[in-house]
Amino acid sequence: MLTADLARSRTYEDTITPKFIDTDDQRYRDTAEELIRIFDEHLGEPKGELEDTIDQLTVADTDYKIVQGLAKLLKDECEFETVAPVDPREIREELFAVANDNYPIVRQPTLGEDTKSIWVYSTVADRLEITLEECYRGMYADLEENQRLVRFGHRVSDEYEDTDGSTTTTRLTGDSEESYAEDTVTVDWLLTRYNLALAQAVLYDATEMRVRVWDSFATVFSYVKLFGLMHRIYPIDSDGNRVPSTDVADGYEAVLDGAASLFSKSRKYGIRMANFLPALPLCDRWEMEADILDEDSGLSSQTLSFELDHTEGLSSHYSAQSDFDSDVERSLAQKWKRANTDWELIREDDVLDLGAEVMLPDFAVEHPDGRRVLFEIVGFWTPEYLDEKLAKIRDADRDNLIVAVSERLDCSADDFEGMDDRILWFKSGIHVYDVVELAEEYAANTVLEE
Amino acid sequence: MRIAFDDGTLLLENAPDTVPFAEWDDRVEEYRARAQHYREIRAWANGADGQATLNEATTTVENVEDDARAYSELALTPSVAIEPRKYQQEALSAWQANDRRGSVVLPTGSGKTFLAVQAIADAGVSTVVVVPTIDLMNQWHATLTNAFGDQLPDGIGVLGGGSHNVTNITVTTYDSAYRYIDEYGDQFGLLVVDEVHHLPAPTYQQIPEMTIAPYRLGLTATYERADGQHEELEDLLGTVVYREEVDELAGDYLSEYETIHLQVELTPDEREEYDEEYQIYRDYVDSHEFDLWKERGYQEFLKRTSYDPQGRRALIAKQRAEEIARTAKKKLDTLDNLLKRHYDDRTIIFTANNDFAYDISQEFVVPCITHQTETDERTAILERFRTGEYSMLVTSQVLDEGIDVPAANVGIILSGSASKRQYAQRLGRILRPTDERQPARLYEIIAEDTVETYVSERRRQGVTSDADG
Repeated sequence: MLTADLARSRTYEDTITPKFIDTDDQRYRDTAEELIRIFDEHLGEPKGELEDTIDQLTVADTDYKIVQGLAKLLKDECEFETVAPVDPREIREELFAVANDNYPIVRQPTLGEDTKSIWVYSTVADRLEITLEECYRGMYADLEENQRLVRFGHRVSDEYEDTDGSTTTTRLTGDSEESYAEDTVTVDWLLTRYNLALAQAVLYDATEMRVRVWDSFATVFSYVKLFGLMHRIYPIDSDGNRVPSTDVADGYEAVLDGAASLFSKSRKYGIRMANFLPALPLCDRWEMEADILDEDSGLSSQTLSFELDHTEGLSSHYSAQSDFDSDVERSLAQKWKRANTDWELIREDDVLDLGAEVMLPDFAVEHPDGRRVLFEIVGFWTPEYLDEKLAKIRDADRDNLIVAVSERLDCSADDFEGMDDRILWFKSGIHVYDVVELAEEYAANTVLEE
Repeated sequence: MRIAFDDGTLLLENAPDTVPFAEWDDRVEEYRARAQHYREIRAWANGADGQATLNEATTTVENVEDDARAYSELALTPSVAIEPRKYQQEALSAWQANDRRGSVVLPTGSGKTFLAVQAIADAGVSTVVVVPTIDLMNQWHATLTNAFGDQLPDGIGVLGGGSHNVTNITVTTYDSAYRYIDEYGDQFGLLVVDEVHHLPAPTYQQIPEMTIAPYRLGLTATYERADGQHEELEDLLGTVVYREEVDELAGDYLSEYETIHLQVELTPDEREEYDEEYQIYRDYVDSHEFDLWKERGYQEFLKRTSYDPQGRRALIAKQRAEEIARTAKKKLDTLDNLLKRHYDDRTIIFTANNDFAYDISQEFVVPCITHQTETDERTAILERFRTGEYSMLVTSQVLDEGIDVPAANVGIILSGSASKRQYAQRLGRILRPTDERQPARLYEIIAEDTVETYVSERRRQGVTSDADG
């Protein structure tokens, strides 16, 4: 992500917009390409030299924020390491100890007995059994600017990795298959990522975020939870209007903030919202609206509005949840297709708001006559996961919720107080007609409810 | 009722509607309160008199389950056997009498850190010390390590400046504390805030708000803020419990020193490049008629550099010229001579930037401290300088506001920024008395006929008028 000083946005009346760049603009493509080349060329070189080279690009260039911003995103793909034969701090301590007994250490000796620094370095080099050059360079090899660029994206420099102490030539191992992630650093990757980063940077000062999504609920809410945001959830129709029941919802609106937002507007959670943002482009259709604290207004309560949606063409580098979480769910879906029943198995599309948690039942089972039941499979687990899951199910307190739990779990029927008769225990796979039977019994009629 | 620490707040599960300081949180359907009210809420739950009691008849809420408190009690004795000064003892007593809450106002150099050490031992609980800068964090780390280091199995923790090590006594910066307080706000029973006048700000204010610490101590030399915001501090930390004015302490800590100014020439190459770059800057500034000697004029210039390519070039030209003057080669020759003369003394060399400090460290094999130096190494180097194991030290601008530096009798300024205050404080630091044998001596080496010459002139005037005033 960008540091706050590299953010670029425009404020107009009470709205704020990131200054996105046109990823097809040749100017930016050239800059991006040159930067990527610079990083490639500096593999194995000190960080300070890399940064000096980047700084040269901005000498007479007022787009220096863009150049430095792009460079920051590339640096995020880098690894820098201290390269020295002996711990630099040990080298220093030896040097200072020897030097302190021999001051003055001078550049131009005036007396025969004056010590020159080269004598100190070679004395310590001998003592540590390293070369004079290794001693001199190793002294501050751990300084940030002296650390070496050892990895850039998928490209690795394995110079200095030899153990016999002799220097080797730089070998670049850019072709190893496993290190080729999807995130291969290209001009398009960089410019797209940059626009996302500009939007994230605006959110650093956000106090509240409202999102509307019409698909990929599980993915979105797992990222809400991952980044420690709190939420209020409202079912909405296809136009984004709030509707009374999750049973008739096309999508969900979530108001996101943090624990202390209850007492006052706080930008404390802005960084979490910025981290969350890349989850939204995983949806086909989404809208986002955030309140951004306005530094310049001088009023601490003044906020600007920041709006964004899927038409902006942002893309995400986060991963979406796979279509089916477990084999059990996949095989049930396959069996259902072959089964002869009017009930339909529909992939999870309800979000149950349980306060601190949301629950996303795996399936809804629906009948053409309007009856509907939510169906949760306790799939794969750890004991803690199972505890949490059972507590969530109890807290949900929904009548039209049925649950399938594997008998291979160490989990007694007592854990489901008052709900155990709607639990379907299974050994290796779930039978369609067992589910239908439970659905017949517990389904609520959504048509009548309205 | 169950009290839990939740992301910098207190979640009050199954609390009665009478619970104080709380608001109903419809997101989780429970009451929630700011973590800073932990002490009051516990007192309320335990009975109106605020005393913890096991007698259920007097408690307001039955079965209070406290899962919020995650800090430990510690039995600590400061290992530094210095008698507290009278005003330090008075300040400590006043703080104790105020339920171990509130701020103490003491002048710079009067041992605020020492007072905090006494307060930490007195409170006997896990403590977090919050300070404005990484340099101060390092200094506090050194002091606390001296006082308590060997009594804590995990030592003194550091959160900030690249370190993330939280222990029973931890030092952190305002910025890191703000970032992490929602995670660690339940871990400490005593919150110490240094330079507490910086605390009233929408962000930093959340540090005291998000911690449950029942004991709180603010320290500063300048409590009052021009904007009146210091009034916020009463709610966050408690009232001012003790105040000692400057002139009651002055005198003890200042000593005589002589200052020697040395000028060096730029080499012909340096001179050529300097003149070239400086001219680019000068031409740009003159053609736009900025009133550079005024703060506003300079701001105007900076603003232009962000959209005018020539302006940006001018800014870089100015930076380059300053850099040439700062790191002039002949300064090293002069330094060479000074070190020959003073190799038996205790010498601190100041530079204005890290690179130059490291150059000198390598050239003359002198221990070096910059803001990049890790906290424990910095503590070790200063300790060795204190004990005499090292007789020389080179440092960039890290020995600023409120920082104790072991005494030296020779100071050499190779380059410095134009800030009057910084300069004056630096002098004060080096020349802190330890040895009465001889007056301390300060050298300032500047590049002739460059901007440094004016800067130096301005600095001296600043110091003089400060001393007169």
